[in-house]
Amino acid sequence: MQYKLVRSILWCMGNGEGRRSQLLRGVLDLCLLAVMGEGPAYGYEMTKRLRARGLSIVGEGSIYPLLGRLERDGLVETRRSASNGGPPRKYYSLSPKGEKSLEAGVMEWQAARDAVDGALDLVKVEVTP
Amino acid sequence: MNEFVEECRREWRRLGVPDPIANEMAADLTADIEEAEAEGGSAEDVLGSSAFDPRRFAASWAVARGVTGPLAPDRMRRQWPVLAISVTVFATLTAMAAVALAVGRHSAAVAAPVRRILAGPRLPQLFGPGPVAPPFRYFVPGPPFALRDIGGFDILALILLLVAVVGLGIAILYWSPWCRRRLQPTDRMTGRSRYPEGSRR
Repeated sequence: MQYKLVRSILWCMGNGEGRRSQLLRGVLDLCLLAVMGEGPAYGYEMTKRLRARGLSIVGEGSIYPLLGRLERDGLVETRRSASNGGPPRKYYSLSPKGEKSLEAGVMEWQAARDAVDGALDLVKVEVTP
Repeated sequence: MNEFVEECRREWRRLGVPDPIANEMAADLTADIEEAEAEGGSAEDVLGSSAFDPRRFAASWAVARGVTGPLAPDRMRRQWPVLAISVTVFATLTAMAAVALAVGRHSAAVAAPVRRILAGPRLPQLFGPGPVAPPFRYFVPGPPFALRDIGGFDILALILLLVAVVGLGIAILYWSPWCRRRLQPTDRMTGRSRYPEGSRR
């Protein structure tokens, strides 16, 4: 995961366009695990939770393949149950393995972010109001 | 059903995704898109940029879930085993012929057909009886298989042996684990082998 993150960051350094998109792609699995921590959710519900936290997946690709990989890796558990008046939905929740992976991933992210902050703090950027 | 979902289903069918899993994924997708549309949004709110490329989206989802079925191997790979078996059989027969020739060169049963081969084909007589050659004109009275014949036998045996060795070498190379790993089909999406490590077809 750390390799993926570093690779994303390095790629972003060389490409002005889509930097935010690439950064997000490197940690989207962590973000999904994090919003699942709030409680079981189906696909679109997770998209809405991410959007409520300021993360829009528009332009980032879909979360479904990522959810598929998390399920295959045993990081999430799934169950099918009826949603509010709608058709049965597949609800995803964190598995014990997923919880450990989330904790490890958050630590890696923080370490990487601190390192990047350490490098970027040298640059003075005027923020216009 | 949504056109996007229909396109996904076609792609899953093509990739050999089992029907129950494809139905489940299609149902989830349909429900999510309908919910987004009911809230005034669109498929793009659910799928992001993937909304414009259903086939790629469907393939990446199926691969991520590990539910793609066995894909038809391409024509060349399908022909490899037939070719390898043919080469193996041919090389074995050639080796047997070379051994038989080397061992039995002093026997009449081997010598007669070999002499015929070495003499080359005889053209049919089309106009009149003409002079008729004796069936084994190179046979001379006395000791039937003189030393001068051994040169031709040896050369033929050597050629057959060389052909057999080359054929058997190719066959052994093909059936070796190293070569089988390289020639076995790979997953088109992931590039990984579709067979687990250590398993045999």
